[in-house]
Amino acid sequence: MQFELRTQVVEPRRKTFSNLVRRYGDRPASRYEEGSVDIQATENFHYRPLWAPDKELYDPTYTAFRLTDPYSFMDPRQLYYAPYVQSRAASGEAFAKSLEYVDTRQLLLKLPEGWQAIVADLLLPLRHYEAGAELISIEGSRFAYGTTIDQACTYAAFDRIGNAQNISRVGIAFNDGHAHALAEAKEKWLGDPALQGLRRLIEELLIERDYAKELVALDLCDRLLYSVMFTHLDEAALLSGAGAYSLVAQHFSTWFLDQRRWIDQLIKTWFADPEYSEVNKAAFNDVLARRWNQIVEAVSDVAAALDARVDTGAAAAAQAATSAVAAQLSELGLTVPGGK
Amino acid sequence: MTVPTQKPARKLSMQQRYSALTHDLDWDPTYVTEEEIYPYTTFEGIKVHDWSKWEDPFRLTVEAYNKYQAEKDRRLYAVLDGFAQSQGQLGLTEARYMNAMKIFLQGIPSGEYQAHRNFSHLARYFNGPGARFASLCQSLDELRHAQTEVHTLSHYNKFFGGMHDWSRMSDRVWYLSVPKSFFDDAGTAGPFEWLIAIGFSFEYLLTNLLFVPFMSGAAFNGDLPTMTFGFSAQSDESRHMTLGLEGIKFMLEQDEDNLPIVQAWLDKWFWRGYRLISLVAGMMDYMLPKRVMSWKEAFELYFEEQMLNGLFKDLEYYGIKPPRHVQWAIDEKEILSHQVYWVLYQYSHAAAFTTTIPDAEDQAWLEEAYPDTWPVFKSVVWDKAQRVVDSGERYFNPGLPQLCQVCQIPMGFTEPGNPLVQCQRHSIYEGERYDFCSDGCQWIFDREPEKYVQAWLPVHQIYQGNCGGPTLPDVAVWYGLEPGDGGEYIGSMDHQDWLAWHAPTIKEG
Repeated sequence: MQFELRTQVVEPRRKTFSNLVRRYGDRPASRYEEGSVDIQATENFHYRPLWAPDKELYDPTYTAFRLTDPYSFMDPRQLYYAPYVQSRAASGEAFAKSLEYVDTRQLLLKLPEGWQAIVADLLLPLRHYEAGAELISIEGSRFAYGTTIDQACTYAAFDRIGNAQNISRVGIAFNDGHAHALAEAKEKWLGDPALQGLRRLIEELLIERDYAKELVALDLCDRLLYSVMFTHLDEAALLSGAGAYSLVAQHFSTWFLDQRRWIDQLIKTWFADPEYSEVNKAAFNDVLARRWNQIVEAVSDVAAALDARVDTGAAAAAQAATSAVAAQLSELGLTVPGGK
Repeated sequence: MTVPTQKPARKLSMQQRYSALTHDLDWDPTYVTEEEIYPYTTFEGIKVHDWSKWEDPFRLTVEAYNKYQAEKDRRLYAVLDGFAQSQGQLGLTEARYMNAMKIFLQGIPSGEYQAHRNFSHLARYFNGPGARFASLCQSLDELRHAQTEVHTLSHYNKFFGGMHDWSRMSDRVWYLSVPKSFFDDAGTAGPFEWLIAIGFSFEYLLTNLLFVPFMSGAAFNGDLPTMTFGFSAQSDESRHMTLGLEGIKFMLEQDEDNLPIVQAWLDKWFWRGYRLISLVAGMMDYMLPKRVMSWKEAFELYFEEQMLNGLFKDLEYYGIKPPRHVQWAIDEKEILSHQVYWVLYQYSHAAAFTTTIPDAEDQAWLEEAYPDTWPVFKSVVWDKAQRVVDSGERYFNPGLPQLCQVCQIPMGFTEPGNPLVQCQRHSIYEGERYDFCSDGCQWIFDREPEKYVQAWLPVHQIYQGNCGGPTLPDVAVWYGLEPGDGGEYIGSMDHQDWLAWHAPTIKEG
């Protein structure tokens, strides 16, 4: 049997907001579109920033990377605030479950000695790397032109401080509820030669004043570092009785896949721009010229330090990742400087 | 199971754990200098000796934040979906209630969005990790508010005028330069001034005056989505208020030289914010079919009682005095809404909301709420407007108003104590004359004339030919106005649709 539900039918005057009709035609819009497209002011600014009198409050020239239409970039994940926090609440819960499993069985304390050293000396200090990555990302949240790019940067910033907090939680679990491993990890971040390349990179990026160049350089470093620290070591850990490391690492690899989706789309959009394609390639090449060797060296220092603790072939993995990323970049028509 | 042999006695306390997850992530740079990483925290003159003294007003981790916020949004969007599916707009008190929401959508989400962007600026450029993380959370909250407001009103946009082009209108339309210039002013200032302007003055001093009328107005008028949004935003707002209060205390405790700077910002932003929310005063007394309370009552409760007699008593300890020009605001409380609504009435043919003469029920309420001032206003203004209507016409002001150089509201405010004499002040700067609606706005201009001469004044821009053309229809097109957006409410598209929706019909099944 079927109910015949009667409701009053009222014809709507319009399907969505006029700015979206102008862009996409007269069709219903998604919540992502209604909450993201054309939100940022673009004209008739009243005053110049006291801290940047040559710029408008929102100004496409805060970066060398340009788009003819800022909304040619759309986040392929279609994330606006509500689905963002919902997806992160779910991944946060998954991480907490893994960590609880590891913690109650004290699996970190039972890691083979070399793996304990990897956690203490190289994984835990990366919470500072993630904290620096947050600062770089939030710069985009302020200085990107257009809400879709701003929004993706904002969520990336929050993700990265979340990553930093999750690594810190690993550190606390590693110490059975105490923080001295975190304090030691900070000393290593500040002084261990294996990590100075990374730290120097982050600090130098923080004074660039071009959020997109910072973001691109950070992403290049992420690609190599995540590939070694999380993808490669995840597998190696499973093969050498360090399951706890694998349990933790998988969450960071999963996050990075998600992060890649919007960054790859942004790069694609920059290079496909009808007007600024070459300008954007030149800006990207500028980042490569200035940063690529620095990044490769910083990550290979980490890889060598990993191999010194447990010989998993991290150096070879770093080299393979470097070649793979270099090949991808070359395919995009970019100039990757020859390394040593 | 093995138990570690040398187990230290004490594990991390909640506070230590929180600190390890947040503040301790920071480090002192050595490859570059701290000044290079955080270059914007000195030029305003605020002295900070120890950023670690910043007390986190709320100890949220990313994990907890995502969990709470996800749950709140799940509930909010469930209400929005249910309301849309059941054609909930049919249950509003009257279609003219939507005018309040038109002003809300045109003016507020773009402000929330500006707050998001500029709290991100603080989240990047404050030296202290505690202040940065609190700003980061607020940045996300503000983005949430911008988006949930748009999503809340998205359903109404499909059935009513005035909402369809809110983002373009907030960049272009004359009365929306009032909120836009307010947030542009704060966003172009330094990070500490932003914190006093928005974090403290707006989010703490004036927030109840801004949000309670809209949200309670929604509750009284059958607007379930906006009311639900209001409740949902409330817990975010209470965090923002705490951040604003922590911000001002932090500055005052760091160095006594900060006091005069903070006091001047407070004086400026009180007046700036007060003038901005005079639009709310007009809305709450004249646009809600069912009223919550009058502007005067709201001002007395949320400002005089809670702020002047509460907050400012606490701030006396630091040497903070109530805002300069506060007495002017107090003196205006019985006339403000009348004056603002009269401006909106005269110019609503060039606006994206409709207005109408208060009906008999409205007038009885106004008379009771404002026994001293309403009768005068009625005879001077509304009786005349009514005579025009009786003759088959509708009075719209055919000219363009002069705008105050600072608040950008048309010059329609009066001299203190004399509600029939228009107030006009002016200053000369580099040989040019600039006009103001009040002592407050003139004082703000005189402190920073080089800033306020830059203002994008809508009326000047029209005269300069920058708004689509020389005639009102040209400008209306450039504004994005469509038939049904503005003008008189009685007989408007919203009104006619409303009558048609509610016409008694009997249909055989």
